[in-house]
Amino acid sequence: MTELHPLRVVLAKVGLDGHDRGIKIVARALRDAGMQVIYAGLWLTPEAVVRTVAEEDADWLGLSLLSGAHMTLVPRVLQLLREAGLEHVGVIVGGIIPENDIPKLLEMGVARVFGPGTPLPEIVSFLREHSGAGHA
Amino acid sequence: MLETLLERFRRHDRLALARLLSLVARGEQVEEILAGVGEPGSGAVSVPRGLARVVAVTGSGGVGKSTLIGKLIEPIRAQKQSVAVLACDPQSPLSGGALLGDRFRMPARPDDDGVFIRSLAAAGGYGALAEHLVDLIRLLEAFGFDVILIETVGAGQGDTVVRELVDVLVLLLQPETGDDLQWEKAGLLEVADVIVIHKADLPGAERVEAQVRAILALGTGSDVPVLRVSSRTGDGIPELWQTIAARPLRRRRQQSGRDLLRLAQQTLAARFAAAEAAGQSDLRQLLAAWQQGEISSAQAVSALVRFLANELET
Ligand SMILES: Nc1nc2c(ncn2[C@@H]2O[C@H](COP(=O)(O)OP(=O)(O)O)[C@@H](O)[C@H]2O)c(=O)[nH]1
Ligand SMILES: [Mg+2]
Repeated sequence: MTELHPLRVVLAKVGLDGHDRGIKIVARALRDAGMQVIYAGLWLTPEAVVRTVAEEDADWLGLSLLSGAHMTLVPRVLQLLREAGLEHVGVIVGGIIPENDIPKLLEMGVARVFGPGTPLPEIVSFLREHSGAGHA
Repeated sequence: MLETLLERFRRHDRLALARLLSLVARGEQVEEILAGVGEPGSGAVSVPRGLARVVAVTGSGGVGKSTLIGKLIEPIRAQKQSVAVLACDPQSPLSGGALLGDRFRMPARPDDDGVFIRSLAAAGGYGALAEHLVDLIRLLEAFGFDVILIETVGAGQGDTVVRELVDVLVLLLQPETGDDLQWEKAGLLEVADVIVIHKADLPGAERVEAQVRAILALGTGSDVPVLRVSSRTGDGIPELWQTIAARPLRRRRQQSGRDLLRLAQQTLAARFAAAEAAGQSDLRQLLAAWQQGEISSAQAVSALVRFLANELET
């Protein structure tokens, strides 16, 4: 019935960190793997991120955080996603996250945390393998 | 599944709109969707609320289309009009993937339900996108947006196609170094309804404007407005919106007869489906009489049309 369709992935940086090199490299890798990557930008509030996910009908949300505020920002985004009826959207987190916070983030509902230097194919295959049927 | 989505759409659910846009952009179930959203009198979404003003913004990559659209949202909202943006970026011909980076230039307004921004991957060639554009526009229109802004993938031949789908085509040019007359060769000036010399904060804007006016004066397009605008300083933005808003609605002028008929067909089809699903007794009797040959097809058709017209009014 529904044909295979490309994954739609929103990439966003929340918090007050200005570097977007990493997120742009990931964006290109996902595009080259056939995904539709919506680059939502820098310094976004959790509200703006969730609005973007809603309007773009995204399958995944990739959050990049380097600011150290991950333990407040990530749960806020997850809560807003649930409130918006977007609990079906998978969330991955990238950036410098201290080792002992990772289990806490996973507990909250993050699908996976990718540290700096994660090989790009690993991110691609994670998204492919953990997306529902119907995706290319 | 689709019925639920359509039901939510008619109740003005933005997630349903987002999902239906995905389906239509992929060319899935388009007929059913367009028929399903057209039903009048179902709350917020109703057909007779009039057509949206559809504006395409075109120009080469980097000329500032996304930035300018982000700026135009302000005067539109100040007039209490709702606005949807369709931002197109090219799809990679190799992987089929796409990097959609337009909305990044547009200010986030997470609390404003009068704004809806959607990024689209434009598949190879303009034909495919244009085909879906018509339907995407119809969907946004049915949701009730007053203004629909479309960012094209960049100036080129496709603009002639896009022009016919929209009310106003806005062409952006910028102060150039070197080959200034590139755009003139492409014949782009001729298809534009409004010409913007963008990035007017940069040196050379007056010169480009003078060149454009000189070329227009030679041809038939001398009544095409030419405006200098800077998204950086905000200069010219309100004037640009005023100019766009004052242009005649091309689609309505050219297509009103066909559009109206199509709306009527969809409306009647939706009414028929609803009456059938509800097991409406008048309809059942009419159908039975026709099936048993008690009345001719011609009689049945006029009775059906009368019945559905009554249904509309009640
Ligand atoms: N100087 C100047 N730069 C601008 C203006 N508007 C946009 N830009 C810059 O032009 C570049 C391309 O803008 P963008 O909106 O992405 O262009 P698009 O590719 O046509 O959508 C960005 O670096 C903007 O900051 C303007 O009014 N003045
Ligand atoms: Mg752009």
